[in-house]
Amino acid sequence: MNTYICRYCRQPSDPNSPTCPMCGAPVDIRSVVSDSGWVAQPPIKDMARIQFGQSHVQIAGTTVPTAEFTLAPDDWIYFSHHVLLWTEPQTRLTNMPMRGAWNRKMAGMPLVMVEGRGPGHIALSDNHAGEVVALPLQHNQQIWVREHRFLTATGNVRYDWHPTGIWYTTGSGDDQETHYPMGQYGDVFGAQGGPGLLLLHSPGNTFIRDLRHGQSLLIQPSALLYRDVTVRMALHLEYPRNMGFAFWHSRWSYRSIWVRLFGPGRVAVQSVYAPPEDTEMISSHSYATTHHW
Amino acid sequence: MIQCQWCHAQNQPGTTSCQTCGAPLDEKDKVSDSGWREAPRLRDMTEFRFSGSTCQVEGELVPVAEIALHPQDGVYFEHHVLLWKDESVPLSSLNTGGGMKRTIGGMPHIVTVANGPGRIAFSRDAPGELVVLPLHPGMELDVREHAFLVASHSIQYSFVRIKGLVNLLHGGSGMYMDRFVTTGYPGMLLLHGNGNVLERTLRPGEKILVEPGGFLYKDSTVQMQAQQMPLKTGLMRHGMYLAEMTGPGRVGIQSMYVHHHAE
Repeated sequence: MNTYICRYCRQPSDPNSPTCPMCGAPVDIRSVVSDSGWVAQPPIKDMARIQFGQSHVQIAGTTVPTAEFTLAPDDWIYFSHHVLLWTEPQTRLTNMPMRGAWNRKMAGMPLVMVEGRGPGHIALSDNHAGEVVALPLQHNQQIWVREHRFLTATGNVRYDWHPTGIWYTTGSGDDQETHYPMGQYGDVFGAQGGPGLLLLHSPGNTFIRDLRHGQSLLIQPSALLYRDVTVRMALHLEYPRNMGFAFWHSRWSYRSIWVRLFGPGRVAVQSVYAPPEDTEMISSHSYATTHHW
Repeated sequence: MIQCQWCHAQNQPGTTSCQTCGAPLDEKDKVSDSGWREAPRLRDMTEFRFSGSTCQVEGELVPVAEIALHPQDGVYFEHHVLLWKDESVPLSSLNTGGGMKRTIGGMPHIVTVANGPGRIAFSRDAPGELVVLPLHPGMELDVREHAFLVASHSIQYSFVRIKGLVNLLHGGSGMYMDRFVTTGYPGMLLLHGNGNVLERTLRPGEKILVEPGGFLYKDSTVQMQAQQMPLKTGLMRHGMYLAEMTGPGRVGIQSMYVHHHAE
């Protein structure tokens, strides 16, 4: 009986294979853990294969890796057209309609997805130096993913999207502007009718951590890659102590805008992120904790 | 003798990298299930030779090509890829021809020529890899605009206009492609591919559909034609275009690319 559990995808795996057949993570390496408990997600080995259904995906390259699918006749994947790198002519491409087109357009999210159906080969890649992260999902397992990090999912993975609930406004009157530091919407993926596979693209390097029940953590909003749906999040505003400079410096220019994550559950961050703009005073915001030093 | 799997040059037994293209000789070729071969990842400080000169590759994230030019040798390049040079290396300019057409196409009128002896180094400003393509007499290679890093002076440089209105408007590969031709002598061509670079050799009549931004180079025998796919890409957007490549010949792609026609 196979009792090996991959430490990265948490699925039963094969210890005799050089890479986990479920997520592609190397099996023959020691875990790299920082003093604070972040586990470095090792990049998927060049040319590693990940099995799903009768099909598999092979990861090629290390700087901007490509995911090359060999699709069996009954298998299919979906993705945003932005990430298509090449396809064989026999691979069938069709549109997958999405609900809420107007809201998605307003939020800058892709309006339509493309389905790629086997048999045939097709390859996807993103436009950032980074890593492909493979998340095998068990039946009914759900995962929350920050917007624009989704690369592709197998056909039996349901895709839904919900407001992040993380926002703040600056300015007033006609100049009022609403900011969504981690995007207006977050993607939620769940496997149905059997196990599924979700691939993300993570710019830079990837680190994962397990939060205990009630444990909280502050991170840059745009650094969050994915989280278990059991992990909750809220805005946290932090203002430095006024050291004698003009008062407005501590009111907005030097503030920090964080997202506080509450366990239990797994969270993953990427090392490339865009800090929120910090030029105007916050006039209102979603539920937040605040700290003035 | 050991044959290099990338450029097919013969090397002395015991050598760990190809003397002609720098590809590691002690590593297995990385070929995906569908036949795409990864361009060899050149090890830091790898050296290879062309004519009487030497090229050393430095760095792995945004690699630098440092060339020690023999007195009789020269190289040409777009001036903005020049990273540093010895003060004594003379520079001159070579008119590419094309005049206004090149301006409209966003391509340089002039390439810069550096002659030996001396050292000179080049890089482009994006994470990626150097692709070393030794060209033998009679070879013709088409390269995506602004992807060429440097070429030895024995290679003729010209450009070909991408034909067909559909290709121009929707092809996503620009208005022109650089064409490199070797006639009398072999030469060395260095490209910079964004992200990772993969190459596939198409059989006669074999087709592959490539995201136009991913196209990096092809043998001139490979036909490239924009093909509209029956897909919507937005509320009012119809028709995503891909570049249909038809063999025979090699096709090179890069895994990081710029989208020209899809938001």
